[in-house]
Amino acid sequence: MPEAAPVLPADAADGWVAPTWDQVVREHSARVYRLAYRLSGNQQDAEDLTQETFVRVFRSLADFSPGTFEGWLHRITTNLFLDMVRRRQRIRFDALPEDTERLPGSAPSPEQVYADTHLDPQVQAALDALSPEFRVAVVLCDIEGLTYEEIAATLGIKLGTVRSRIHRGRVQLREALAHLAPRRPAAAEQEVS
Amino acid sequence: MSIPESHLAQEAIAALVDGELSGGAANRAARHLTGCTQCRLAVQAQREAKAALQRDADVAVPGDLLSRLNAIPFTADVPSGGGLGGLSAGGGGLTAGSWAIPLAPPEPPARPGQARWLRRGMTGALAGLGLGVAVLAVGLPAAERTEDVPPPGSVAGAVRDTLPTERTDVVPPVVRTITAANTLPAGGPN
Repeated sequence: MPEAAPVLPADAADGWVAPTWDQVVREHSARVYRLAYRLSGNQQDAEDLTQETFVRVFRSLADFSPGTFEGWLHRITTNLFLDMVRRRQRIRFDALPEDTERLPGSAPSPEQVYADTHLDPQVQAALDALSPEFRVAVVLCDIEGLTYEEIAATLGIKLGTVRSRIHRGRVQLREALAHLAPRRPAAAEQEVS
Repeated sequence: MSIPESHLAQEAIAALVDGELSGGAANRAARHLTGCTQCRLAVQAQREAKAALQRDADVAVPGDLLSRLNAIPFTADVPSGGGLGGLSAGGGGLTAGSWAIPLAPPEPPARPGQARWLRRGMTGALAGLGLGVAVLAVGLPAAERTEDVPPPGSVAGAVRDTLPTERTDVVPPVVRTITAANTLPAGGPN
């Protein structure tokens, strides 16, 4: 079926028109995908997260309360991401000490990252080096432009925690950028050998 | 731990960069920064990290992902998505209905009387359909594709709209008479 027919409720005559699913996808998919990519750092996970987010949206449209669609999408996407990370951490890192927060993803080449996302591959790599909790806070703040209060609501954490995660996340991000910058071409080879 | 109290708290530095400090706190922080190189550098570092992320451009959604997203109403199984959910794979109208309605913020006035009538009508129609099919299966194994509902006005029409259109509208008298004959011995109220 090429296009879902715009089926409207019988009494849509009073001005409000229910958006079609196509419209929902068109309007929100880019933002969700970008967020998913910034968080996961690779296209495969970003696609999976985006797909799963929209499946959840579709399933629970009935519970949707108006006015919070963006917040709702942020919440679903970030929670799915954190779930994914925790699942993988349990599998791969259950023996490691607590302070090991880095999660090496399946790293695509810098060229691939740029082609996919138009984000400086170093910046994406620096993001990937952050612990997932810090990464989520920083991405929601600096890329998605959410206020601290919105971030606190999205993640279900306290305002003070938001502040501290953003601060520490940015400190780590900057260190990672400084660390990556001088040996940019060698980074990929080093990973292999 | 060794940070003297005279310096800005780390959380305050982040909040200052993001414009999240209240007026009084922001003024105090600004006064402190004029005389404190260390805190100025910390603020600068936060700004740099933020700026690196904000040089962000839009991401194009891969085309095949987009088509998978558009297809979700036809591919996702919706738990408890309504009694007729099983039919969703076939009928575009039905699946579309299950998401087009819930997005409506103020549930439009539902005219309760009519809704009850409709529900009763639906139940009746479905029961009739089930009975007809059962009778057909038991009594007329060799009959051609003849199952149908006695059409109770528009309700049957509505039901039929949600089903694939290939079904026949022929109502064979045989089925109806047998249905009636079969209900009587069962001891129903009528």
